[in-house]
Amino acid sequence: MSFQEKSSWGLLLGIGVVAFFYFPAAFEIVGRVSHGAPLIGISIAGVIAIVVIESTYHAIIAGGSDDQTDERDRLIDMKSERFASYALVISLFWLVGHIIITHAIEGLAPMPGLEIAVWILLALTASEVVKLIAQITQYRLSA
Amino acid sequence: MAKTCVRNNIRKLRFEHGEMTQQALGEAVGVTRQTIVAIEKEKYSPSLEAAFRIAEVFGEPLESVFRYERD
Repeated sequence: MSFQEKSSWGLLLGIGVVAFFYFPAAFEIVGRVSHGAPLIGISIAGVIAIVVIESTYHAIIAGGSDDQTDERDRLIDMKSERFASYALVISLFWLVGHIIITHAIEGLAPMPGLEIAVWILLALTASEVVKLIAQITQYRLSA
Repeated sequence: MAKTCVRNNIRKLRFEHGEMTQQALGEAVGVTRQTIVAIEKEKYSPSLEAAFRIAEVFGEPLESVFRYERD
């Protein structure tokens, strides 16, 4: 397994673990309070957790492994970015549609700004996860 | 992933060049060992430049190393 593939696995697992704890907590907070202070707190904690997990993981896998990239890595990266952009566009269109519909139809509660922010963050995270899965799949299939 | 339409003789040429390792070929060409593995298994088509460099390492014309076979 190349350094790039190991790196993708590490990022996927790191983001997966942090997202698993972050998003349920974030949605619980935005459903309970109307100000963003608690959300900022767990967001900082989430960023720190990802940085610590990734730094530690990359320090471990970097030992003795060749981290050079070549044309195949760049091609896989480009293809994966394309999948990620599809995921991001679909997620954001869904979110925009949801916001418009809840504002347009009487009786439906409009989505609060903080909740919209968390959904946007979830869309960005989902697109990154799609990118990493696409990378790993392509590395495995053309290994 | 399906094989590409680009066939190659890299395994045979490595054998004929003193069982050159995939790592050594990768270093000579400027790609990773994993890329040489993928090219050799015909699961990845190299760029034209990498293909020329591989042929150059073996001292062979490009068409002796790679050929195109339509499925």
